[in-house]
Amino acid sequence: MSSGYFNNIKEATVSLFNGFAITLSNMFRKPVTLQYPDKTPRSVTDLMPERSRSWLKVEMPICTACLNCEKACPIDCIKITTEKDPSGRVMSGFDIDMAKCMYCGLCTEPCPTGAIHFIPEFERASFSLDQMISRFVPEGEKVVPYKVPKKDKDEEKNSAKEEAEDKAAEAEPDA
Amino acid sequence: MGIQTEEMMLNMGPQHPSTHGVIRFVVKSDGEVMTEAVPDVGYLHRSIEKIGEICEYNGFMPYTDRADYLSAMNANQGYAMVVEKLLGLEIPERAEYLRVIAAELNRIISHILSLGAVAMDIGAATPFVLALKEREKVNDLMEALCGQRLTYSYVRIGGVSYDMPPGFIERSLKFLADFEPFMDEFENLVPENKIFIERTAGVGVITREDAIAYNLVGPNLRASGVDWDLRRDMTYSVYPKLQFEVPVGVGSQGVVGDSFDRFIVRIKEIKQSISLLKQCFAQIPEGDFLGEIPRVMKPAVGECYVRTESSRGDMGYYLISDGSKNAFRVRIRTGSFTSMSIIEKISRGMMLADLVTFIASLDVVAPEIDR
Amino acid sequence: MENFAIHIHESYLYGLPLSVVNLIVMFGAAFVVLLGFVAPFAGLLSFIERRIAARIQCRIGPNRVGPQGLLQFLADGVKSLFKEDLIPKVADKPLFIIAPYLVFLGMFTSFVVLPFSSQWIVADLNVGILYLFATAAITVVGLVMAGWGSGSKWSMLGGMRSAAQIISYEIPTGLAALTAILLAGSLSLQEIIAAQGPHPWQWYFFDNPFTFIAFFILFVALVAEGNRAPFDLPEAETELVSGYNTEYSGMRFLFFFFAEWAHLYVLGAILTTLFLGGWQVPESLLASVGAESIAARILELVFFQLKIYVLVFLVVQLRWTVPRVRMDQMMDMCWKYLVPIGFFCVAGVAIWMMLFPDGVSFVKYLLIAFSSAMVLYYFYKVYRNFKDSRAELELNPFV
Repeated sequence: MSSGYFNNIKEATVSLFNGFAITLSNMFRKPVTLQYPDKTPRSVTDLMPERSRSWLKVEMPICTACLNCEKACPIDCIKITTEKDPSGRVMSGFDIDMAKCMYCGLCTEPCPTGAIHFIPEFERASFSLDQMISRFVPEGEKVVPYKVPKKDKDEEKNSAKEEAEDKAAEAEPDA
Repeated sequence: MGIQTEEMMLNMGPQHPSTHGVIRFVVKSDGEVMTEAVPDVGYLHRSIEKIGEICEYNGFMPYTDRADYLSAMNANQGYAMVVEKLLGLEIPERAEYLRVIAAELNRIISHILSLGAVAMDIGAATPFVLALKEREKVNDLMEALCGQRLTYSYVRIGGVSYDMPPGFIERSLKFLADFEPFMDEFENLVPENKIFIERTAGVGVITREDAIAYNLVGPNLRASGVDWDLRRDMTYSVYPKLQFEVPVGVGSQGVVGDSFDRFIVRIKEIKQSISLLKQCFAQIPEGDFLGEIPRVMKPAVGECYVRTESSRGDMGYYLISDGSKNAFRVRIRTGSFTSMSIIEKISRGMMLADLVTFIASLDVVAPEIDR
Repeated sequence: MENFAIHIHESYLYGLPLSVVNLIVMFGAAFVVLLGFVAPFAGLLSFIERRIAARIQCRIGPNRVGPQGLLQFLADGVKSLFKEDLIPKVADKPLFIIAPYLVFLGMFTSFVVLPFSSQWIVADLNVGILYLFATAAITVVGLVMAGWGSGSKWSMLGGMRSAAQIISYEIPTGLAALTAILLAGSLSLQEIIAAQGPHPWQWYFFDNPFTFIAFFILFVALVAEGNRAPFDLPEAETELVSGYNTEYSGMRFLFFFFAEWAHLYVLGAILTTLFLGGWQVPESLLASVGAESIAARILELVFFQLKIYVLVFLVVQLRWTVPRVRMDQMMDMCWKYLVPIGFFCVAGVAIWMMLFPDGVSFVKYLLIAFSSAMVLYYFYKVYRNFKDSRAELELNPFV
């Protein structure tokens, strides 16, 4: 009984002492805070890893309008409208509702050319849901789907991807 | 004789700082001591199971993240396993290792958050923030691995969605090397503190019989002295190739199955996960990360149930297929739901402050209760 | 004070009766103390606390408003002023409205007797220490009123807790203070300080083993009286949402926090006065600036403040280190530990004074040696913890 009494005091004092030693040592450690957005060491998009799933972007020049992404999306936030045109099948709309998107990445996987992909940009909050819809085909315009050259089916994906990068570089001013 | 006294009905939640989400407790209290606390669940019901019936098999994967957002990798893994079993798929060994690596990393951060939350609910804010600091480091690893920080959807049916990025093993090992001293310090700061011991020891004691009768799972079950871990006893994935111990509550503060035991069991599990991760990084073979999967997933008519050991214990997926592209029925069995059921029994005669400790020590996650 | 009033009366307001002038001067002084002193101190302490807490948690803390976030408390104050003053429908309106002012009153009236230097004191009451404890007791009335008047069950629980807590902890506070009073033979704060000296071996803290223990009792009891963690049960946010101030908003809400931080300062001041030699400055230092000059007074003020801020730092660190105790444990701690040990210390000091009227220098040096050894060991442990964590060193407090 009496030993428990003094033991309690001793334990409380010792554990308090140890706790104080830890918290004080914490005060000399470098803070881990990243002062987003204005005091980051580099721009925030540079800090994001390569695979970062942030905002969806479609490289329209290489989109084949295969509708794979639309089918893969579990919440139907991708909407592609195609029309018959004298020149063939054309896309009159490619909308992604980013307000609905849950950034799962399922749409990027079945894409044959890698046209739909994530970009490490996320600072696109907006005040209206309407602005959250990314429209990749400007209204009133029509985009002719990209046709994968048939020459080497095996390297189809690779070559298409390389080409996609080239085309993406060209298309940069639009974005 | 005496003054007429009346019990006071308190509404704890749905918005309350320590209910960890939207859970409501109807508390009948007589001042500080309460006579009853009845949990009222369902405030976070999002019909995830019903959504599973209208999504394709692959499309349901992101929803499993939301079922238990604190250990999304474990939830992913369970769902992938049940569909693979239904389809009869074999998955590459490297993919299995990647899944286990992801799952164990996830177990670490889920447990560390739970430990921090217990400390936070008892009134110490610093351990919680320090725990979050470590959690962020793992989140960075996860982001490098799969591109997301919370809802990973990393696992795919037939494998995983990405291979490890270059330098991932080195980064992870460096993190683990820094993490071990942090855990020592954390132990020194929290569970060795006299006030913390006083607050948790003997609080919310769940006996071995109760734990089994109420179907508790995971760390809560093990803290009550039941030596049961699905990773070892109903083994799956690559766990048979790995060496690990299953920590069991020993009643280091007098009673087996109190809040303190649950805390200590989680700390020990983190240490086991660290060793599991090191083994995985040493053993991981070269190979594909995604196996051959059918273009359209149409499993044969049948049903299947798969149990996995998630951070919160036994997570089971029950799937009925009618041969079409969508599942006929998806059912998720989660640990938090059963944990909620025992609160009413144990909380009788507890103090109000102890109820908070008890709920936190059970590590219930609101979305996992309601789904 | 009275001389000042007479001076004002003779020079400017000779048309008015002296009593009215006295009153005006008093209100003026109170106004100056409140606006010019308590507010910046409470605000500054809030800033210090937030920055310390941040660094303990590997964060940075508020650093945007003003230089290094120093004006954050002003921004918070202005924000609170503009907030809607919500009064719940079921609240007991008069009680609800008065409560924060009572809480604040209890805290800031104690500034009246705090000795900032050998001459800077508003009123050197001959019962100064009793006055301090008496005003602190007004707070509890305010807290109970806030708890009851809010008409919320959580608030009421908080109010009840605070009543039980503050009333219980008055006893160990009084007992521990009694040791210093016994040694000094006076209740006046100035006389208690004067009875001590500038050097550690002249402080009551190291006078004998009993006062050494009494210091820690007083420390714990005062922390509990101020509702600071680990004794912040009345506002325990994870249990009672926010306790007695759950229903408050705007400026009324701010008054509670004002009182809390003001108490932090008062706590440091009481401990410094009773056990750490108050504003005493070594004579050689005092002589170098002229013992009667204003510089000497400022030097005294600086010494007093330094001691207070060391204690404040410890209290803040305590808050961010330990978890909260439970209601029954808090009562246990008071009645089973602090009160008996407090009585033991009072009796011990009395006997000590009888046996050794002039004190025992050997014991004093032993206590100082022991304390220094503990402090050194503490810093060694801090160094070890830092090394073990493999973290980067960052000494600059203004990152």
